Amino acid sequence: MSDIIWLHEDALRDDHPVFDAAEPGAMVCFVWDDEYLQAMDYGFKRLLFIYETLLELPLAILHGNQVACLSALAGEHNGRILVPETPNPRLQQTIATLGENGRVEVVEDRPFVTLAHAPDLHRFFRYWNTARKLAMTPGGGR
Amino acid sequence: MDELSRDFANRDDLVAYLTGLTPWLDDHQPGPMLGGVRAARQQLEQIEPVRYARTRNFLDGAVTRLSPYIRHAVLTLDDVRNAALECVEKPVQIEKFVQELGWRDYWQRVYRSNPESIWKDVESYKTGYTAADYATELPEDIAFGETGVACIDQFITCLRDTGYLHNHARMYVAAYVVHWRRIRWQAGAGWFLHHLVDGDPASNNLSWQWVASTFGQKPYIFNLDNVRKYAGADINTTSADNAPLDASYDTLTERLFPRRGRAA
Repeated sequence: MSDIIWLHEDALRDDHPVFDAAEPGAMVCFVWDDEYLQAMDYGFKRLLFIYETLLELPLAILHGNQVACLSALAGEHNGRILVPETPNPRLQQTIATLGENGRVEVVEDRPFVTLAHAPDLHRFFRYWNTARKLAMTPGGGR
Repeated sequence: MDELSRDFANRDDLVAYLTGLTPWLDDHQPGPMLGGVRAARQQLEQIEPVRYARTRNFLDGAVTRLSPYIRHAVLTLDDVRNAALECVEKPVQIEKFVQELGWRDYWQRVYRSNPESIWKDVESYKTGYTAADYATELPEDIAFGETGVACIDQFITCLRDTGYLHNHARMYVAAYVVHWRRIRWQAGAGWFLHHLVDGDPASNNLSWQWVASTFGQKPYIFNLDNVRKYAGADINTTSADNAPLDASYDTLTERLFPRRGRAA
């Protein structure tokens, strides 16, 4: 039994907290999903940028449907799927679908600022007046 | 499931391989921006956060070019802020720089608070027009940089050829599309997301909405004098080649928003 770390396009690095959350020996993968990439409507320059970044990361680049690939891996490894948090609705849908059939854990990234209360997001400067002091501090108040 | 190759002799080999992997795309020209953690770290070492504050609005200013790495979280905002703080003795020297990182954090928080809303008008237009008054499709002359407005066409060509555009030029193009041509911001935002290597749904769409006035108190416009001030010698800013932009702000406001401020 071993964990699977699924890195997606919103977390292309190997010091994301998702690596700390996984058991040693976890399999790390990125799924190159043609249907997903077409739905995102990315141009070639972006896809090249993503692929070049993947080549410097310790992972397997799998080609196929995200849900199908990750479900198959989860069955094979009989472990958790650990995935970086993302606001992307398409990726969130994939995470929800995977969660219906197995153990999926979403891991948040290091924040820019750690605020005690949810800020007012109606206008930028309402947020900034709340966040400014911590934002000017190394680590953002962690 | 197949596993894709990780072994390439050089970038040309990777481009050829990736071209075969992406038959749905018409354009397979590589851009100048390099992906990867090493490239990100090298770029991070070159930031000039103090000079950034003075020059960031100029197209040749000391901008960081970190945006694609931040977009895909190769670097975090925390990484960039901490590196900037190490460049100065007093944090106040880089407050403008950190505030711009704050904009990215802010857009992401708005996005996370309601991910499905990213393509909808946050508020109504403050231009005197309703959403129904704006065209839904991007005209081809804009898509291909053939509008006849010289500086706008140069910015669009840069966007298409490099996958990057300085933020100020993004605002010029967005304002031209929405206000001069009366196209819905969604059409322009989707077009930018296709071409920009750093295109992020939150930063991009909400910035377009800010320009359009659907996420701000008034529409953003500019004039040719403003482009002349910030664009540098490489951009054609002659009056003859940029006539629709060559007017005062008052004149442009009357011309672009004739219904604004009228009683209903």
